Amino acid sequence: MDAVQTAIVERVAEQHRHHAKGQFFWVWGALLVITAIEVYLGYQNMQPVRMLSILMGLSIIKAALIIAYFMHMKFEVTRMRWLTMASLVFCLAMMCVFFPDAFRILHLAVR
Amino acid sequence: MATTAALHAHAPQGFIRKYIFSLDHKVIGLQYYFLALVAVFVGMALSLLMRIHMIWPTAVLPLIGEIKPETYLSLLTMHGTIMVFFVLTTAPQGGFGNYFLPIQIGAPDMAFPVLNMLSFWTTFVGFVVLIAAFFVSGGAPLHGWTGYTPLSALPSAGPGEQLGADLWITSIAIFCIASLMGALNFITTTLDLRAKGMSMMRMPLTCWAWFITAILGLLAFGVLLSAGILLLLDRNLGTSFYVPLVVVNGQIMAHKGGSPLLWQHLFWFFGHPEVYIAILPGMGVASQILSTFSRKPIFGYKAMVYAIMAIGLLGFMVWGHHMFMSGMSPYSAFAFSVMTMAIGVPSAIKTFNWLGTLYKGRIRFQTPMLFAIGFVSMFVSGGLSGPFLAQPVLDIPLHDTAFVVAHFHLIMGVAAIFGIFAATYYWFPKMFGRMMNETLGKVHFFATLIGTYCIFMPMHYLGLAAQPRRYSQFTEVAYLHRLIPLNEFITYVAIITVAAQFIFLFNLFWSMKKGAKASDNPWEATTLEWSTATPPPHDNFGGHTPVVNHGPYEYNVPGAPRDYIMQTDPVTAEAH
Amino acid sequence: MSDVAVQHGLTGAYEPSLFGTYSKKIGMWLFLLSDSLTFGALLYAYSYGRISNPSWPTPFHSSSIINATFMTAFLLTSSLTMVLAVRASVDHKPKQQMWFLLATMLCGTAFVVLHGREWSHLISEGLSLPVFPSVPGAEASPEFVNVTRDVPQFPATFFGLTGMHMLHVTLGVIYLGVIAFRKKFIPVLLLLWLVAWLGTPAYSPFHYGAHVLLVAAIVCTVILWLKPKLYDSSDVEVAGLYWHFVDLVWMFIFPLVYLMSTRIL
Repeated sequence: MDAVQTAIVERVAEQHRHHAKGQFFWVWGALLVITAIEVYLGYQNMQPVRMLSILMGLSIIKAALIIAYFMHMKFEVTRMRWLTMASLVFCLAMMCVFFPDAFRILHLAVR
Repeated sequence: MATTAALHAHAPQGFIRKYIFSLDHKVIGLQYYFLALVAVFVGMALSLLMRIHMIWPTAVLPLIGEIKPETYLSLLTMHGTIMVFFVLTTAPQGGFGNYFLPIQIGAPDMAFPVLNMLSFWTTFVGFVVLIAAFFVSGGAPLHGWTGYTPLSALPSAGPGEQLGADLWITSIAIFCIASLMGALNFITTTLDLRAKGMSMMRMPLTCWAWFITAILGLLAFGVLLSAGILLLLDRNLGTSFYVPLVVVNGQIMAHKGGSPLLWQHLFWFFGHPEVYIAILPGMGVASQILSTFSRKPIFGYKAMVYAIMAIGLLGFMVWGHHMFMSGMSPYSAFAFSVMTMAIGVPSAIKTFNWLGTLYKGRIRFQTPMLFAIGFVSMFVSGGLSGPFLAQPVLDIPLHDTAFVVAHFHLIMGVAAIFGIFAATYYWFPKMFGRMMNETLGKVHFFATLIGTYCIFMPMHYLGLAAQPRRYSQFTEVAYLHRLIPLNEFITYVAIITVAAQFIFLFNLFWSMKKGAKASDNPWEATTLEWSTATPPPHDNFGGHTPVVNHGPYEYNVPGAPRDYIMQTDPVTAEAH
Repeated sequence: MSDVAVQHGLTGAYEPSLFGTYSKKIGMWLFLLSDSLTFGALLYAYSYGRISNPSWPTPFHSSSIINATFMTAFLLTSSLTMVLAVRASVDHKPKQQMWFLLATMLCGTAFVVLHGREWSHLISEGLSLPVFPSVPGAEASPEFVNVTRDVPQFPATFFGLTGMHMLHVTLGVIYLGVIAFRKKFIPVLLLLWLVAWLGTPAYSPFHYGAHVLLVAAIVCTVILWLKPKLYDSSDVEVAGLYWHFVDLVWMFIFPLVYLMSTRIL
């Protein structure tokens, strides 16, 4: 087991060495630019729902960049990529079931 | 990882490293098991006190005195919490899973032995913190194992809601962290440490069950952790996540703007997968034992695996059926109702396959087999009331009655306990090198089977007759007078059934010392744990890693020399 | 994955790992899945509270937003240096690895310090939780006092979410410190604890929060005593995964908590 683990660690390290360092700077730049866009959007007079959708869309792009490049997920095996991301997205998506009740409170609340 | 090799080279010496802070998954499994054993007797004693209080509300008991209504609620809370967290989650997964998952897949230990040890000791601390709630001023909390807010969020809501409730939440949070460590260890072990030839589709169904259970635990406990943290903030920092504007004893509380529904959502998002965390390992054990003792391959191995996966997936989509009473959006209620009905399908597939395994088998009615059949029986009887409760129209009148108590005790409580008993009788020879006494085992089985049915079957009728649950006293209520005799019957049976459990306890400890010596494979089973020595050596297989050539349940293969083929047996022409 | 295993001669006594990588990394990813659900639940709780309180305030002035933007930039930069540290570790350049880890930790510390200042500022302005003692001598601004009174959900979610995140960043810095400096980091940590504890006034939540550092120092000592081994590139990479995750979570907290509550002039 230990020999196997060491061999895998070495293989993963070898894989790392093949990545061009430049891409990390590009990703970093993109993240900073998207952040700047978000801050700019934060000062626009927009309907909250539209603003939320745009901001969350941008944030998901940022998260995807971080996961894919910084967290190396893009270079993991397909099975790991799909199983981890699918289970996470599935659970988070299920939690959206909370929201109809939050809206209901608005209508049912004692004023 | 270099240290792991050193760890397995020779067993640790000295009492503390060997039995207390051991890194050996087998010792940790036993630690979990005995923790659960202590917990189950505490939990059982609490339930007995509740039953006694129900029919003799003013009785003065020795040592305890008279049980006050708030004490009844404390008993209820602690019974539920101890049983769900420290018995049903701890014994089948932490106990047997820890002991047998690595052996059944051919690994020398878990992937992260230190994490494994920390996981047990964190659980232990959680248990101590929970028990401490009994002894602080105000006593144990009143809010049930579900900790519904605003009751659980307001320290002024009752005597047990002061320090006791804080300890309760802390204990749950500690337990979450412990389960998290355990779960990621189980998953990594299953992914990484399967012996050569042990492909995923050759794993015993027990391993599949532990694997899926670990995934459920991993994804569910994180949510409970944050729910618990927010509850602690509400209680101690004065925030109002879960508390709307409320009046307690005529006083308006400072909280406002929160929603109790949020707690219920977060809690049940964890809580429903938790139900499957309790029952899935039992399903795995039942599959294993039914196949072994019917001397037949499990009926529909692949269907069983996919059914476990489907149950795991659907388990995350049905939590709302606990909340039909809560004022949840009726549209969500409809969706949850449909999904809950759908989860009956994989459960029915499993039941059908168990029956298919028994059909025309050469059944050996030994104690493990009896308990496995008992598991199936309980699972069916408890499961059949599920579709009733899955429908909001029926659930709303039944939800706060004893009907629900009967339902979840049969399917989640007793069925899972039967799974634990079956596993104990089945694996005892491997764990301790001796056989458990058959006669005592059979007496224990029939007493428990008949006892639990006599306790919980009548409760369905009590529920239909509108006996409310969680009420400490009902004998004064006119319309419930005619239910008193049935309640008395249940209490008497409960006392007898609890007494019968001491037969098990005696059998367990007596057999450890005096039982007949067990051979390496007393049940003539096929999986890897039976191919190693009894009890297994420190690194499980004595310095080598087994090579797996067969599926897990090859019994009565035509042309084979014996009626079973071990997973490690060499491939021969006539075996295929 | 069997092809990978065969190709690399990893067909030892075991089936090749289903996820094709070493165990520690899988373990960390599994932990992160669970932790992201913890944060997910917190963010959902925040959204739930926000929806059910229709008069949600938008009180953050540009000073807060600018501060938070700088914090974000620090975190993003720390992620970059973290990646470079991982790269240095696989290239066997221990000096470089140490400096990049140090840079990551400094960026993380800058984040925590800026955030702590922001907290203290908001508390003195009157955005507070009921148990936070009032700041002596500070003049609360009526708008924040009104927010705290009318929508207690606002400070609750703000302090709850960002506090939980700050805790994660702090633990991340400590984790990296142990990876980079091992035993030598413990005295530094204890020093930081003393500075944070004694350097903050008694009414500040950080006066008590600083004890997290003490607890962490004790835990780290125990871990280093239990497993006194050299950390290799896999340890750096696994620590990096955790660090990037902390960064990732902030990518959601920043727009939800700050940008969606910006005071538009």
